[in-house]
Amino acid sequence: MSIMKLIWAAVGLALGLSALAGAVHAQECTTKIGAVLPTSVDWGRPIAETAQFAVDQVNAAGGAAGCAIEMVLRDTQVDPKVGVDAAKALVDLEGVKLLLGAVSSGVSMPILTSVTVPSGVVQMSCCSSSTAFTKLSEEGKTSGLWFRTFATTGVQSAIGAKVAKDKGYGSVAILYKNDDWGQDMARLIAANFAAVGVEVTASVALNDGQPSYRAEVTEALTSQPDALYLALYPAEGTAAVREWISLGGSQNMILANSLKSDEFRDNVGMQYLGAAVGTDTASPRSESADAFRAAYVERFGSEPNGPGLANSYDATMIALLAMEAAGKDATGADIAAAIAKVTDADGTPVSADTAGFQQAREVLAGGGTVMYQGGTGDVRFDANGDVSAPAVVWSFTDAGTQEVEYLSLNEVDAFIASLN
Amino acid sequence: MIQNLIDGILTGSYLSLGAIGLTLVMHILRFANFSHAELLSLGAYCALVFDALVTALVPGLAAKLGPLSLTWALILATLISMVLTGLSAALIDRLVFKRVREKGQELSMVFASFGMALVIRNVIGLIFGLSPELYSKDIAFATILSRDPLILVKPDQVFVLVAALLLMLILHLILSRTTFGYALRAVAENPSLAQVNGVNLARTIMAVWLIGGGLAAVAGVFYGLSHQIIPVMGRDLVLPIFAATIVGGIGSVYGAVLGGFIVGIAGNLALVILPSGYTPSVPFLLILVVLLIRPHGLFGEARA
Repeated sequence: MSIMKLIWAAVGLALGLSALAGAVHAQECTTKIGAVLPTSVDWGRPIAETAQFAVDQVNAAGGAAGCAIEMVLRDTQVDPKVGVDAAKALVDLEGVKLLLGAVSSGVSMPILTSVTVPSGVVQMSCCSSSTAFTKLSEEGKTSGLWFRTFATTGVQSAIGAKVAKDKGYGSVAILYKNDDWGQDMARLIAANFAAVGVEVTASVALNDGQPSYRAEVTEALTSQPDALYLALYPAEGTAAVREWISLGGSQNMILANSLKSDEFRDNVGMQYLGAAVGTDTASPRSESADAFRAAYVERFGSEPNGPGLANSYDATMIALLAMEAAGKDATGADIAAAIAKVTDADGTPVSADTAGFQQAREVLAGGGTVMYQGGTGDVRFDANGDVSAPAVVWSFTDAGTQEVEYLSLNEVDAFIASLN
Repeated sequence: MIQNLIDGILTGSYLSLGAIGLTLVMHILRFANFSHAELLSLGAYCALVFDALVTALVPGLAAKLGPLSLTWALILATLISMVLTGLSAALIDRLVFKRVREKGQELSMVFASFGMALVIRNVIGLIFGLSPELYSKDIAFATILSRDPLILVKPDQVFVLVAALLLMLILHLILSRTTFGYALRAVAENPSLAQVNGVNLARTIMAVWLIGGGLAAVAGVFYGLSHQIIPVMGRDLVLPIFAATIVGGIGSVYGAVLGGFIVGIAGNLALVILPSGYTPSVPFLLILVVLLIRPHGLFGEARA
């Protein structure tokens, strides 16, 4: 072999190596993830676009687990049948190991029970709030594959109990709307009151469209509680509260966010609502939430005001971070298990953008864990895949409502933990 | 328990007033008028408008009467509303029901009344909005009759009961003591035979609508006084009022009065036995039980 040939071979080898290195950067492999979202309704499309925005940022950072990510999006039409068909096609035909969606609890639930859990696929929802999922998970029927970035009604009920405790009420009667939401609230708040040592003297359901709520209110009043908890909508709330006050019931009231309404305030009258306080979940007041807002405005040219946008972004980002942490060719169970590594409170904080993803990759490669800080703040899942949210306590004023107290995510979490 | 009973009687008073009008119309015109409860809303909103008007014109009338949340202005407005609601009922009959009656069958009338109910309800909603309205924003506090067991009564409710009983007495006297009352009952028995005997059918029908509408207006105002005025109040009240009419026996004014009180009391007592989520079923159960035992209602009679 001549010197020349040797040089050429060396050059060729170098070229080949660099070509190989280039291939790593260009990611000749592609991993598909599925998304089932209601893109045919006007508020559903931005949720899907936000998810795609997160995917684009991850691809700009070099993809997850060494491969570019392709999000295959299917429409649910807010219909459980369509949603299940779409999810089935994504899992069986496209072979996805990760499914984002759905929005409505009624669509997410059948997908979870009949598609993702049987196939061992991770399901991450941006927007389903029903506590039915928590129950399912407690029964062990989700196989740990279910996650959501939307707070359940549990946050509000916990804060309701906190208010009762802070105000020193010894006993509370509950009036609730007789529907899924109201029953959920009544069940949760009763348990939370018991946990903080407040006695629940009565829990009375109010049906829609009854001519009179006198009998129901009388039922709640006989026990003469210190305060009244209301999980009602404004129309029946007004009727019930006027009845309650006229019968001499306590004006100490705790209101669910559904009664944060001018109609309710005007018809009951400010003179009777001075001691009433309400609860609600709130957007986080953190740098990462502001950063998401700024990034969203830059990309879409408008504020992220629609429902579930920050939640959709975080759902996608966390899922992809988990794929990165789980490594190449991970199964659904691997990805689900890796979610704890990217939402670890003790981990290295990473921001919700391309740079944050790259930083997370380095930390994870070094065997560390990261704490994802996203559009909804520091996202942390509990054992049932549920997240918490910051909360506000509010009261009525002559002009509207005012904030009485803001509870950050950590404060809410600490309080919920103290209940259990 | 005693509290529930008292509340039931007080609820029964406005249900009875509504049921009287319905039973008369159902008996004499022989059709189930599903729009009758909308006359209650019509009357309540009509009184709301005139209450504001009278108060604006003569501010002196806006003072409250003793412990009641009632004002002279509202009493005056209620009287005007009775007349106007009665006239509206007669007008609706002239424009809609009369034409259907002449051409269609019994079932067409039922559907026509359903349609009318929707039209009235939605027109009211369109004009006044869907949020609740109140005659007085102040809350009238209940008087404590007894502390153990706790018994509370609102002055307004006592007034409503007394006024309702008074109206029923007047109606009773008219029906039993006047020629007009005889004519009314004759038409109900047999319209053709009544006409042969010189009873003016068209005028009697008009009178039935005026009475029915007028009583419905009072019932609506009393309901608004006790609770709140909302465009869907007719929808919420139609079932208890129908239950009262059917339980009492169609055509019997006294049956309607009794039926109203029975439905009111049963609805309030139900909570003692049933969980609160199931109370809306009580009027249905009541209808079933009464019809099983007395197929024509408590005071009703079979007719050819």
